[in-house]
Amino acid sequence: MIKNKETYRQQKKVQNSIFTFLAFAFFIFSMLQLNIVPERIVRSIERLGYIFGNMFPPVTNEPVSLFTAAIESIQVAILGTILGVIISLFLAVLAAKNLTISPYLGYAIKGFAGFVRAVPALIWALLFIVAVGLGPTPGILALAINSIGMLVKVYGEALEEIDMGIVEALESAGASKVQVILQGVFPSVMKAFTAWSLFRLDVNIRYSAILGVVGAGGIGWELMKAAQMSRYDEALMVTIVIFGMVMSAEVLSEYMKKRANAASAQALN
Amino acid sequence: MMETILEIRQLKKTYPDGTEALKNINLSIKRGEFIVIIGPSGAGKSTFLRSINRLSEPTSGEIIFHGEDIVKANRAKLRKMRRNIGMIFQGFNLVKRLPTVRNVLHGKLGYMSTWKGALGLFNQEEVEEALSILERVGLEDQAFKRADELSGGQQQRVAIARAINQSPSIILADEPIASLDPNSSRVVMDYLQKACQEEGFTTIVNLHQVDFAKEYADRIVGIKNGEIYFDGPVKELSDDVIQSIYAKGKEAMPV
Amino acid sequence: MKQEALNISNQGEKGLSATKPSKYSEYKRRRKIMLKSQGFITAIILLLAIWSIWGTGFNLLSLFFGTYEILVFIFTDMFPPDLTVIGQLIGPALDTLYMSYVGMVISVVVSLVLGVLAADNLTPHWTIARVSRAVTAFLRSVPAVVWAIILVSGIGLGPLTGTIAIGLSGIGILGKAYAEVLESIDGAQLEGVRATGANWFQVIGQAVWPQFKAGFVSWSLYKLDMNIREAAILGLVGAGGLGYYLQGSINLFQYKEAATAILMIFALILMVEYMTAKIRERII
Ligand SMILES: Nc1ncnc2c1ncn2[C@@H]1O[C@H](COP(=O)(O)OP(=O)(O)OP(=O)(O)O)[C@@H](O)[C@H]1O
Ligand SMILES: [Mg+2]
Repeated sequence: MIKNKETYRQQKKVQNSIFTFLAFAFFIFSMLQLNIVPERIVRSIERLGYIFGNMFPPVTNEPVSLFTAAIESIQVAILGTILGVIISLFLAVLAAKNLTISPYLGYAIKGFAGFVRAVPALIWALLFIVAVGLGPTPGILALAINSIGMLVKVYGEALEEIDMGIVEALESAGASKVQVILQGVFPSVMKAFTAWSLFRLDVNIRYSAILGVVGAGGIGWELMKAAQMSRYDEALMVTIVIFGMVMSAEVLSEYMKKRANAASAQALN
Repeated sequence: MMETILEIRQLKKTYPDGTEALKNINLSIKRGEFIVIIGPSGAGKSTFLRSINRLSEPTSGEIIFHGEDIVKANRAKLRKMRRNIGMIFQGFNLVKRLPTVRNVLHGKLGYMSTWKGALGLFNQEEVEEALSILERVGLEDQAFKRADELSGGQQQRVAIARAINQSPSIILADEPIASLDPNSSRVVMDYLQKACQEEGFTTIVNLHQVDFAKEYADRIVGIKNGEIYFDGPVKELSDDVIQSIYAKGKEAMPV
Repeated sequence: MKQEALNISNQGEKGLSATKPSKYSEYKRRRKIMLKSQGFITAIILLLAIWSIWGTGFNLLSLFFGTYEILVFIFTDMFPPDLTVIGQLIGPALDTLYMSYVGMVISVVVSLVLGVLAADNLTPHWTIARVSRAVTAFLRSVPAVVWAIILVSGIGLGPLTGTIAIGLSGIGILGKAYAEVLESIDGAQLEGVRATGANWFQVIGQAVWPQFKAGFVSWSLYKLDMNIREAAILGLVGAGGLGYYLQGSINLFQYKEAATAILMIFALILMVEYMTAKIRERII
């Protein structure tokens, strides 16, 4: 018994050393494959020093357009989130195993959501640009569809976890499907839904900041412009604005989550 | 004088996995009866009760309620019939995050237009009725508390209030006191009995506790292996009968 | 009708008529408050929506024609994917993998240092902890793509740029995660080892590492999962790998090739997720 334990520990140790060695070997191998060799590193560090030196002090020549671009990003995120939330609410009810009208429809929606989720938002933006042209619209649609991918999954999971007794109780009182969902199911999952939706808004604001780099509106394009002209001081300014957007989104969604929880905790009618 | 309110004929239920939960149930229930169903675990009591309002679809048979066959009803018809059948569950099945009074109001959903009900637009009359029913189950002070802030016994009384609010002619209760302590159990059973006497509800209750069954029932039905094994007034339920209902195996014994 | 029956059955007629109106007004009062707060939230959401529609010039109809256009685009222009280019895609796919891995190693190494410095129970001084946390917070709030764009113009196109960008943004996430795991370590055990007169390295090895290991491994592997997705899109701004190929083929209107690249990204993500899950199982 004790001996077994001892050998097991020994084995584990050997195994871990092998893992560590393999991890290190793969690291070196990857570096070589990417042609990251010492001289290149030294040269890039020089370049990085140059970039860094030129970043300060951050400036902007067009504060107004920078500001409008930042606002546009936020608006893209808001619309993408709202559309995503509304559509996901419907799809999630149809996708949840316990509420769906047909299991096949449920699988179809889940499969769709899984696919849509796996393609990154920026790639969706790229595809939508080809389909509908440049501007904020493809950005909004890209965020909406990528949000659907995630929200259908998490909403669906919340729905599948509800106590089916509630559904049975309301059904046995003669309530219709819509009544059961709005009166029984949604109050039970409201808190989870709110938290996830706010989380998604947070994520979407992050994404919206970079959608511009492929031409889907917002502040990303300002960054592209500054970087292409090698104006690192302007690029830093844009970066700081993006940082501010993302930070405030995080703080705001935290605050709203608390507020929403407080409101539902009041247990009003 | 006593009309038949519920007539069950050759009711069978086989679950998709092949379990024959109900084999051949025939039962005739009169208006105002308080029936308690007893039987060992897995006998088919829950299945039987849930077949009556089709929470569990019967495989075959007839369930004639107010002269109409529930089994044959389409969706809309079923909704209408269900609001006449109140149901009480072991787990209370309240919407925990909503206030007590809203849970009671849910009993009216079957009578409302889909959208009014879905949006919870209850009028003054409906709210006042719900509040007065809460008063009758002794919970007037809990009306605005969230349902999950109440004790188990109180929650079950809310569930009774919700069922009363349906103005049903029959109430089905599936082990309403199985997750309560003896004191709360008694309180809940008393309120259930009182409501049924006052309103003239016909009541069918599944119980595990034989002593409770004997105390509250007018008539006892024993179910075993998906079949009716005993059916009669309390005084006919001798200890021998009880023992053989709960005995393992299938020794033959005449009803 | 029912109402009457209820009243009759209730003995306390007087008490009833005295309490009932106040009960109902209580119901109405509560409902009003709730409707008000719900209305407030709805109003804010609506205002935000209108403001955003006005600002972006978004046309709600584009929801429909956008869906239509993308379906047409996917099913006529991208479908079927041109599988003959798979051979050309293996190189970029491997690059994406290498970028993710090297980027992870960079962020792991730097984050270990920053994490220890930021953890309340291990930091040499609280000001250092503050600074370390500020650095990670900043790196976390700036998306990897932003770093990639700046670096592309500074260092040039290619996977090295992507690797550094991934490494930088990874520090933001891992630095915070490591610090949190370290802070949750059982202090008593730490004291115990310290009391034996062990030096700092011994304390780390004997007391900290055993408790830190599980969190360390799972967070690092999680980051590797994330990195694959990030590496795939970094290419869109010129930082090498599959994304670069994808961008190129879209610019050349080779949508069927682009479709293959997307499928390849897909496959890569799934493969790495499968592998990290297996490794996680083995180690923890
Ligand atoms: N959903 C189901 N699928 C398959 N078999 C089921 C299902 N529900 C119940 N059964 C089976 O049907 C039989 C009757 O079950 P039922 O729940 O009606 O018994 P019960 O008398 O209510 O038991 P208990 O006293 O434990 O509640 C049991 O053998 C049970 O395993
Ligand atoms: Mg049962």
